[in-house]
Amino acid sequence: MRYPIILRYGGIVLLLNGAFLCLAALISLGYGDGGFFPLIYTCLIAVLFGIFPFIFIPPSEEISNKEGFTIVVSGWILSCIIGMVPYLLWGGEFTLSKAWFESVSGFTTTGASILTDIEVLPSGLLFWRASTHWIGGVGIIIFVLSVLPSMGRVGMILYRTEISALATSNFRYRAKKTMQLIMFVYLGLTALQSVFLMICGLNLFDAVTHAFSTISTGGFSPKNASIGHYGSVPVETVTMIFMALSGIHFGLLFIAFSGKPSVFFRSTVIRVYIFMLMAGIILAAVSVQGTVYPAWTDAFRHAAFQVISIGTSTGFATTDTNLWPPFAQLLLIFFMFQCACSGSTTGGIKIDRVVLLWHAFKKRIMKVEHPHAFVKAKIDGVTVDDDVLEATLLFITLFIVISFLSTLALGALGMDNMTAFSASAATLANVGPGFGLVGTAGNFSLIPEPGLLILSINMLLGRLEIFGLLLFFLLKFWK
Amino acid sequence: MGLRIKILSGFLILAAMLLVAGTWSIYELRNIGQSVQHILDDNYHSVNAAKCMTESLERQGSAVLLLMLGKREEGRTILQSAHESFSQALVAAHNNITLPGEQSCIDAIGKAYGEYRALWSQSIVGTGREGDLNWYLSEVHASFLAVKLAVASLMDLNDNAMYTTAYNLEARAHRATMPGIIAIASAFIFSLLFSFLINLYVVTPIISVTQGIRNYLESGKPLNVKVETSDELGRLVSSIQNLISRFQALRDRQ
Repeated sequence: MRYPIILRYGGIVLLLNGAFLCLAALISLGYGDGGFFPLIYTCLIAVLFGIFPFIFIPPSEEISNKEGFTIVVSGWILSCIIGMVPYLLWGGEFTLSKAWFESVSGFTTTGASILTDIEVLPSGLLFWRASTHWIGGVGIIIFVLSVLPSMGRVGMILYRTEISALATSNFRYRAKKTMQLIMFVYLGLTALQSVFLMICGLNLFDAVTHAFSTISTGGFSPKNASIGHYGSVPVETVTMIFMALSGIHFGLLFIAFSGKPSVFFRSTVIRVYIFMLMAGIILAAVSVQGTVYPAWTDAFRHAAFQVISIGTSTGFATTDTNLWPPFAQLLLIFFMFQCACSGSTTGGIKIDRVVLLWHAFKKRIMKVEHPHAFVKAKIDGVTVDDDVLEATLLFITLFIVISFLSTLALGALGMDNMTAFSASAATLANVGPGFGLVGTAGNFSLIPEPGLLILSINMLLGRLEIFGLLLFFLLKFWK
Repeated sequence: MGLRIKILSGFLILAAMLLVAGTWSIYELRNIGQSVQHILDDNYHSVNAAKCMTESLERQGSAVLLLMLGKREEGRTILQSAHESFSQALVAAHNNITLPGEQSCIDAIGKAYGEYRALWSQSIVGTGREGDLNWYLSEVHASFLAVKLAVASLMDLNDNAMYTTAYNLEARAHRATMPGIIAIASAFIFSLLFSFLINLYVVTPIISVTQGIRNYLESGKPLNVKVETSDELGRLVSSIQNLISRFQALRDRQ
């Protein structure tokens, strides 16, 4: 492992953060609020640590997959560290662990906040908060599309597209090609949503910050009541459409936007994704109609928004789901675990693994019926290897085990069962809000500081697909 | 990029960071000082005036009771002096309006006090009001409480403002110290990073070149030092290699 190369790319990550910090500082300067100094100061720190390795360490033509993986994971950790500095400098509600939590929540696109009053923050800090989602979102795509395939992971198996062909190329080529796809889809979706939100009546600042949070499936809003602040059906509809789009594999989105929309209907994962969302919306609407909302229109409106928001791991809210009946809450918890498609910015177990789990189940049944038969699991005509099925089952098991362990840890810290369980699941799946104290109308400010650190680890584990973070901290990896 | 620029750039940014940290800390400390001055200038004077008004009111209440007991001279003397001190305090409060809502508070005090004063300005001793406790309780005391309540609201307004300013002082103190703490931490990490990079890209190549030249002089081994950078060190190594190859060629010819 060549550490200087990792330092150089870590520097580039810091410089990217520095650029957004500078933009946020300029916004603060424009609004004349108190966020300028914390942001420009952090920007200088990011530039100091970013530019020095960048100019000292010469670029390398070839980067190994292991180095690429380390660059992405350490880039994430560095971003989280630099991301908390403006919060720390601002003070207010931010202690060290709360600033770290907010930063990790931003970069991992979780969207869980410790803030009891978001609107008192200066505009520049609010912009930075939304930017952490956006930067994190780009990072996720690079990680998922260019790093994970090289490590023989599950995600790419299901896609016989240009993207999966990239997996066989070297890191440098893959990263370059991937970046082009990302920038096209990511910037395009962000710009498009910002324009639509402005047409719906939001000002430029609110439109851009909400677009940042939607496309990255983050969930930070500059408003205390999230999207519910606007009480507007058009705003909710635009947000729902873009949340749903952001839950789809970005490679597929690229191909679909390139003039091949039929790719959507050929993909089993997309079909399951759409079916699950539709079924979830109908079931939730039936559950909340009459019990919470007298009118069917209101029931469908809020059910659709909450199911899509949780089902894509975004975490925006238009209503207090703590008031929903238990069945609707359990439904949301199911979506909290499942989330959307791999290759997108979503978190959770992901539909792909749910599809694989179903095929593993079918294969097992066939084996029980015909013990000597040679049974192959196939998805979209692609044979799925046994090690992929095994990795899927292991991932799902680990996901549930980690949720359970962190629930236990939070319970030991004095949290009630619902708060502890939903906070663990919501952070591990990078969803954001849970139930109880951390519901859509609440926040994470009442979680004790050790609890915040546990949940921060959950967020990083979830974002780096569990194995990513575990591998990074394994000594053997560094040899 | 040259070595000088590389080294300078890092230090320049570090200097800029320290400059911003220092400027910001000074700015916040000045703000803290101004906030304290604001508390003294704006709120403390109003609170003092409100206290003075309350005290004057209580003296006026006692004086009215003296009048009701038939002690005209004593009562009127106290009333006159208490009225003067109340009026002075009211003027002081009026001249120190610094908060939103303070003007309406003072207007309310003036109005309530006017009504209260109208009650005790009329003759009491030798009239039906002397010894009339019902009149005192239903009119004088009720009016007295109304003025006292209006004065209390002025005091509350200023007390709350003082509390908010003092509370904000904590945040300002945090913002004044935090840049320094982060600057120290950053400078420490930066010095480690700087040492690592200087060692890797400056010191190590110099040692390698020195060793290479020594090897060449002692055993004639060709200078085989690889320097990745294209700065002064890279050019130096390539110049030495050029010099050695020319020297070797000259020696071969001889």
